[in-house]
Amino acid sequence: MPRSFEEVLLPHLDAAFNYARWLTKNDADAEDVVQDAYVRALRFFSSLRGEDARAWLLTIVRNTWYGRFPRRAGGGVTMVADEDADNRADVSLNPEAQMIQQQTVEQVRRAIEALPTDFREVLVLRELEGLSYKEIAAIVGIPLGTVMSRLARGRERFEGVLASSDIRGGRRGLS
Amino acid sequence: MDCRDVEGLLDAYQDRELEPAISTSVRDHVNTCAACHQRLANVESIGRMIRHAPYYPAPDGLRARLTQARTRSTSASHLLAWAAAVVLIASVTGSMWFVRSSARAARTLDPVDAVAQEVVSSHVRALMGEHLFDVRSTDQHTVKPWFLGKLDFSPPVNDLAQAGFPLTGGRLDYVAGRPVAALVYMRGQHTINLFVWPEASDAIRSSDAQAIRGFHVRHWTDGSMSYWAVSDVNDADLDQFVHALQP
Repeated sequence: MPRSFEEVLLPHLDAAFNYARWLTKNDADAEDVVQDAYVRALRFFSSLRGEDARAWLLTIVRNTWYGRFPRRAGGGVTMVADEDADNRADVSLNPEAQMIQQQTVEQVRRAIEALPTDFREVLVLRELEGLSYKEIAAIVGIPLGTVMSRLARGRERFEGVLASSDIRGGRRGLS
Repeated sequence: MDCRDVEGLLDAYQDRELEPAISTSVRDHVNTCAACHQRLANVESIGRMIRHAPYYPAPDGLRARLTQARTRSTSASHLLAWAAAVVLIASVTGSMWFVRSSARAARTLDPVDAVAQEVVSSHVRALMGEHLFDVRSTDQHTVKPWFLGKLDFSPPVNDLAQAGFPLTGGRLDYVAGRPVAALVYMRGQHTINLFVWPEASDAIRSSDAQAIRGFHVRHWTDGSMSYWAVSDVNDADLDQFVHALQP
């Protein structure tokens, strides 16, 4: 039975906004992107057949954002050097314990925002949206294996950024 | 599997995205290798940290703008689907098929069906716009005179409280290209709109039932007036309502 636009896509408005907000890093752009995306989604709604509506909508959100901010969307990705891969913190230090000490959700936010978009978005889709690798691959338009490696690399880099912000900020008094 | 193999799979392992056989191999290794065990704990820990990041829900303003943009930019049938959705949410009827079927509303219709669409639309508009009443009274002797001078006919107004359908008021409405009387009855929490206008016809048509966008519609004529009853009450109740109006 055909389902209505409202019934299918409005429940995913929060997901759409959260994704757009992390892509654009500000409220105003995120609102514009989501609004545009919904207008597009409405236009193409009849082409949605049995797929996962949330993934479908998030794909449109991403395409809309990419169309609006091509430079920002494309930038900062390829400069990831393989050599810096091993900047994960000492495994004997439990990063979670560190974070609880610091009580810095804000720091987490900044660390994620500091990541290149390619890593940021897969982390957000995976950790905040709980999407599968397959769904992420469809939304971002990359192979499954790339989702896997980007997530692994993204987590590493996140930890690296967080660690360096610790050194710059909270730990200064210790030295 | 050695540590090097496992290290590259830890993220996918903790994301539960590995093939079962590979996943089992990783688990076996992690259970026996302290270093990889610690690495896995680290990956899990990073995941938990990232999940501390803020989740940005859509602002209310955006939700409202989307709603407006939607009603502005879409055809009448979509508008109606939207209106129907609003009514649906407001009344928490839970009958989801009502919204779904609304997409089918935009079809060419024969004149009677077109009127049926109109009265359903009017019913929806009245409920969502809160302009259900021009005159609010449970007294038929108040409601009936109210229409005097406002219509070129005098609609029959009967209180059906005895039958379980109390009259609650009426309003002027515009259907089928003419001003009509809309009488509002209740059945429990459900509203029944009864549209009445003169229609001279030789044939007395008995009740004709249909369902449009989840609303039940009854239409009949008594030789001088045309009646349309619209409601989301169940079929049996609406038939009972019609029966009570036809002595």
